[in-house]
Amino acid sequence: MTRRRIIEIAAIAGLGGALITALVVPPERTQGDLARLLFVHVPSIWIAYLAFSVTLVTSALYLWKREMRWDRLAAASAEVGVFFTGATILIGMIWGKPTWGVWWTWDARLVLTAVLFFVYLGYLALRRSIIDPVARAHRSALFGVLAIIQIPIVHFSVVWWRTLHQQASILRPGPLQMDPPFRSAFLASVVAFTFVYVALVMRRMQLGRLEDEIEVRLASSHQEVAGAAVAPPRIEGAVDSV
Amino acid sequence: MNSTANLVELRDIGVRMGRTPVLRGLDLTIEPGEVVGIRGANGSGKTTLLRLVATLLRPSEGTGRVLGAGLTDPARYEIRRQVALIGHVPALYDELTLEENTKFVARFCGAGAERIAEVLDVVGLTEARTRRVRECSAGMQRRAEFARVLLGNPKIVLFDEAHSGLDASATPLVEHVIKSVVAADGAAMVVSHQEDRTAPFTDRVLELDQGRLWEAA
Amino acid sequence: MSLPFWSQAGEIARADLRSESRTGEVMAVTIPFGAVALLLIPFGIGTDAPLLRQIGVGIYWAVVLLFGMLVALRRSAAEGPAQRDLLGLLGVDPAARFAGRALSTGVLVLAFEVVLGPIAIALYDARITGWAWLILVVPMVAAGLALLSTLIGSIVGGSGAAPALVPFLVAPLAIPMLLAATQSLEGLRLGESILAWLLLLAAMDLVLAIAGVLTARPLQEVR
Repeated sequence: MTRRRIIEIAAIAGLGGALITALVVPPERTQGDLARLLFVHVPSIWIAYLAFSVTLVTSALYLWKREMRWDRLAAASAEVGVFFTGATILIGMIWGKPTWGVWWTWDARLVLTAVLFFVYLGYLALRRSIIDPVARAHRSALFGVLAIIQIPIVHFSVVWWRTLHQQASILRPGPLQMDPPFRSAFLASVVAFTFVYVALVMRRMQLGRLEDEIEVRLASSHQEVAGAAVAPPRIEGAVDSV
Repeated sequence: MNSTANLVELRDIGVRMGRTPVLRGLDLTIEPGEVVGIRGANGSGKTTLLRLVATLLRPSEGTGRVLGAGLTDPARYEIRRQVALIGHVPALYDELTLEENTKFVARFCGAGAERIAEVLDVVGLTEARTRRVRECSAGMQRRAEFARVLLGNPKIVLFDEAHSGLDASATPLVEHVIKSVVAADGAAMVVSHQEDRTAPFTDRVLELDQGRLWEAA
Repeated sequence: MSLPFWSQAGEIARADLRSESRTGEVMAVTIPFGAVALLLIPFGIGTDAPLLRQIGVGIYWAVVLLFGMLVALRRSAAEGPAQRDLLGLLGVDPAARFAGRALSTGVLVLAFEVVLGPIAIALYDARITGWAWLILVVPMVAAGLALLSTLIGSIVGGSGAAPALVPFLVAPLAIPMLLAATQSLEGLRLGESILAWLLLLAAMDLVLAIAGVLTARPLQEVR
C-alpha cells in the first residue's frame, strides 16, 4: 500500500471519526447545535493558514532551487488553501447570522481571511494566465513571496483600525466553553482535516507530476517543431517559400 | 577578446515556447566579418533565432556564446549593448517624435546631438524628425530603427525582415549598416524573404527548417 | 558608457510622461472617470448631506485606490515586446526600468489625487483638518499605489489578462494604504496623532520599492 493511499484512508477514517464525535457531543451551552459548525469552520481556517504557509515556503524554495516539484507543491497547496478559505468564510457566515445577527462583521480576523482568499485566488488566476511552465512557476513564486510580505502589513493595519474603532463593532459572542467532550471533538476535527489537506495536496501533486510527464513525453524528439504546422497556402501560384 | 574568436557559437540549441519546440538541435557559428543570411517558412523560428543570438532568450537545451558571453551567464548583460536588433515591429514610442525616439536611444549610447542629427540625415529623416511615430509610415519607422542602430556602433547587427517597408531609395541602408559593422570586424545576420536583395552582401545563406539550420540549396 | 541608475530611471520616466502628455489618457479619461465615480456613489448610498460629509473622505480614497490602478494600466505605459527587447539591448538596468515606470505612474496618480480632491470636497462638503499633513499623506499614497501597481504589472507581464488581473491582485494588498489614508484624515479631524499611520505608509512604500528593485532582474529573465 502506497504512502498516499495510507494518508487517504487515514483522512477518510479521520473525517468519519470526527463526524461521529461532532454529532455525539452534547450541544454547546450558549450556541446549541449551531456550535457544531465550528468543528468544520475552525479546522478549515487552520488548514488554509497551513496551506498558504506551505505555498510561501515552497515558492521561496522554487526561487532558490529552480526545481519544478516546489512549484507543483506551491500550486497544489494554494488550491487547497483557497478551497478551505472559501469554506471557512461560507460556514462562518452561516454560523454568524444567527449568532451575531449579521452575515459579516469587520473583525480583523475575518477581514484578513477575506484578504487571504482574494490574494490566493489572484495567485491561481495569475498561474492560469501564463502558459509557459517555467515563466508560470517563476512569476507565481515571486507573487507568492510578495503577497506574504504584504499580508502582515495588511493584518497589522486592519487590527489597528479595529482597535481604534472598538465602539463601532457589533455584538460579538463570548469565548466558547471548551468542555472535555467538545475539546476532544474539536481536536479530532483538526487532526482529520490535516490528513485531508495532506491527501488532497498529494493527489494534486500526483496530477501535476502526470501533467509534467505528458509535457516531457511531448517534448521528445519526435514531437514536431512549431514551424511544421505551417503549410503553403492552397491557392494558385503559391509555392513553398523554401 | 581575441579578434579571431567566433562572435556567435551555438551548439545543439533548443528553444521552446510553452510546450512547443521551436528550435531543436541547432548549430551555428559566425566569424568576425561574416554576413549570414537566414531564410525559412513562416513560423520556422527565424525571429526566435535572432532573439536568441541577441541573448534576449535563454535556450531550453544546448549551449551557446555570443561575443564570448554564455547565453545563460550574467556576462550576457554586459555584451548586449554591442548587439543591435531590428525586429519586424518597431521598438519606438508611438507618441514621441522620430527625433525624440533617437535622442532616447542616444542617451543610453552616449551619443551627442551632432551624432543624432548625423544618423537622422543618413537615413533621410531630417525633415521628418519632428513627426510623431504614430503619424509615420511603416517605412519611416523602419528608417528610424536604422538610425538608432547607427548610433550604437554595434558589433553584431540582426535584421528581421531586413527590407520590410523600405522603398527603393532606402533599400541600400541595409547594406550600408552591414558594411559599417563588418568593417569593424563585426558580423550580421539577415532574415529576409527577398534573397535577390540580400545576396550581394551575404557570405552564406542558411535555411531554417525543422528547428535547425541547413546549408541553403 | 553606461548611464547611472537614476539617470536611466529618469529617462524612462521622462519618455513615459511625455507620451502621456500627448495621449492625455489620464487627464482626459481616467481623471474624469474618477470624478464620475465620485458623483455616482451617492446615488447608491443616499445623498444625505451629513452622511456624505461623514463618509466622503473614505469614498474619495476608495476611488483613488480603485481608479488609480487604471493609471498604471494606461496605454502610454504599455510596453510591447519590441520595446522591452530594445531596453534590454541598450543595457537598461531592469531595476531602473522599474523605478522609472513607478516614478511616472506616481506622478500621474498624484495628479489624479490632486484634481479629484477638491471635487470630493465640493461634492461631499468634506471638512478637512490639518491641511499641511496632506503634503505627506497624498504623495505617499500615490507612491505606494504606483509602486504596488508597477510591481504587480511586472509580475503579471505581458499577459492579455493584465488589464483585469493587475487590479484584482493589487486591490487586496492596497488595503493598508486605504486605511492609512482615511485614518490619517480621521485622526486629524479628531486632533489625534497620525504619526503611526504615516509610518505605516512609509514602511509600505519602502517595502514595495525594495521588492520592485529585487524582483526586476529575475523578472527580466523570465519570458
